Amino acid sequence: MNAIEIKGLTKNYGEKQALSGLDMVVPEGAIYGFIGENGSGKSTTEKIICGLVLPTSGDVKLYNTDYTDINIRSKMGVLIEAPGCYPNYSVWNNLMLHATNLNIEDREEEVRRVLKLVRMEGSASNKYKNCSLGMKQRIGIALALMGNPKLLVLDEPINGLDADGMRIMRDILTDLSQKHNCTVLISSHILGELEKIATHYGIIRGGKMIAQMTAEELDKNCPTFVALSTKDIAKTKDILDSKYKKVVFDEAKENLRIYDDVSAEDVVKYLYDKGIIVNEISTSKIGLEEYYINLMNNKEGV
Amino acid sequence: MEKNENMQFESPTFTQRLKGMLGVDIYRLFHTPLFYIFLAIAAIIPAMIIGTTGMPGPNGEMTEPLFTNVWQAIASDNPLYVVSHIGQYANMNMVFIFGGIMVSIFIAHDYKSGYVKQLFTTHPKKQDYMMSKTIICAFAMACMCITYLLGSVLSGLLVRLSFTVNFGSLICALLGKLIMSLGWASLYVFLNIIFRKYFAISIASSFFFGTGILIIGAAAVVGNSSILNIFLYGASVSACLSSGLLSVITCLIVSVSWAVIYNTIGTHILNKSDVY
Repeated sequence: MNAIEIKGLTKNYGEKQALSGLDMVVPEGAIYGFIGENGSGKSTTEKIICGLVLPTSGDVKLYNTDYTDINIRSKMGVLIEAPGCYPNYSVWNNLMLHATNLNIEDREEEVRRVLKLVRMEGSASNKYKNCSLGMKQRIGIALALMGNPKLLVLDEPINGLDADGMRIMRDILTDLSQKHNCTVLISSHILGELEKIATHYGIIRGGKMIAQMTAEELDKNCPTFVALSTKDIAKTKDILDSKYKKVVFDEAKENLRIYDDVSAEDVVKYLYDKGIIVNEISTSKIGLEEYYINLMNNKEGV
Repeated sequence: MEKNENMQFESPTFTQRLKGMLGVDIYRLFHTPLFYIFLAIAAIIPAMIIGTTGMPGPNGEMTEPLFTNVWQAIASDNPLYVVSHIGQYANMNMVFIFGGIMVSIFIAHDYKSGYVKQLFTTHPKKQDYMMSKTIICAFAMACMCITYLLGSVLSGLLVRLSFTVNFGSLICALLGKLIMSLGWASLYVFLNIIFRKYFAISIASSFFFGTGILIIGAAAVVGNSSILNIFLYGASVSACLSSGLLSVITCLIVSVSWAVIYNTIGTHILNKSDVY
């Protein structure tokens, strides 16, 4: 079953079109990395899923049911932009209020549980307004985790988190997905972190989904390559072009990339035979970040 | 429990939802200094008016006292929609003006803090929000009415004003005013839902409608007509020191009717617009 299924979603803010026919499928239990540039429509999509913004047209279903259904929405956890907390109340009181809203029976126990999850037990008495950005993000995650949600919608949740915070976040989300079959929709610009946990990806641009894939599919779409540099790059490229499928000059790193089924040793030997000495050579794989940037720029290697 | 293939979701009942929201609102009300400030304002205002009434002016001349009886600070002697004397305005109805400002600040904080974001995600029924806010704001205004009463009585005792009154009518007037808190609260919650993105307009509109200026204007045309009782301000005025059970029933019907109307329209607006 799909946890989220969106078809032809549009949203206009006056003259401006934020979403233009977005389609999206998030399978149940997935950690769905939602990627896109600023203003591409990620937050609008998430706000629509959370019922904060009305779509202009389109169909949004959560677990095969209309997204406005109260039964499903009561099992959602959300962190959009900043956590919704009263600044003058303590962290504990803010969480207790949210637990009250969710009609959780043993509120104190639940608050302790989520505070422990995000390692904030020692800061429960702090006023929310006195918390650092990273602490606020952790509180937002704690709010979202209350009541054992079946669907988590997290907008930039790792912004402001330190290395430990990011690790905790990864552990929590992976655990929720694997052990509790919780579906996580997470948007972030920190693609390196996203790559470590996401099982599915969706890339949005200009209010439209331009690519959706599983982590395995992404892996297949991210080829390995041999990167090398020599004294005479132009001459080397001419030589390599005649032998290998695809040879690309990487302007940023000023080296050549060979996208072919070849080992670094073979390349070194081949070039040596042609009278060219290789200064540096390595075998690498395109990561999510590079894949995404290439996709956005319609570059080679995608 | 509703079965959804292999996924099961609990279904929160209306009572559970409202209980949760009211729990939060009650906590917030009693833990915000704003509430106590407005309670104090409600007590100080009649004390100031009663305390200064009939005092000598700057040149030593004696001014005409606004009140001769302490209960005139609670309600006018008769249901006067067109008044000739400023003292006839200066009664418990003023609580409904200040109450509007309190409601504006209380609701604006929900949006400013982002609380509604968390709330509306898990509580998609906007009618619950409207009801919870209306109930809690009505309660807050009723509390303000009580401190206004206490302020009036204490200052009346201090300046030794007369306490002579028809006790039955006084109880009816007080009950009427307390009941009207619900209608006024629903109006203010409604206004704050419409202008939720514009705090200044919320406050200004609450103040504007709280003064009952439109009804006072209408009264200038139609005179002291009881037809004006169908409006919140009119019904509030009808709860006077000559009122009886009929006035209480009028206040109840008017207050509940407007509360239902404002809640219904407010819910519709929230359902048909972006909430955050």
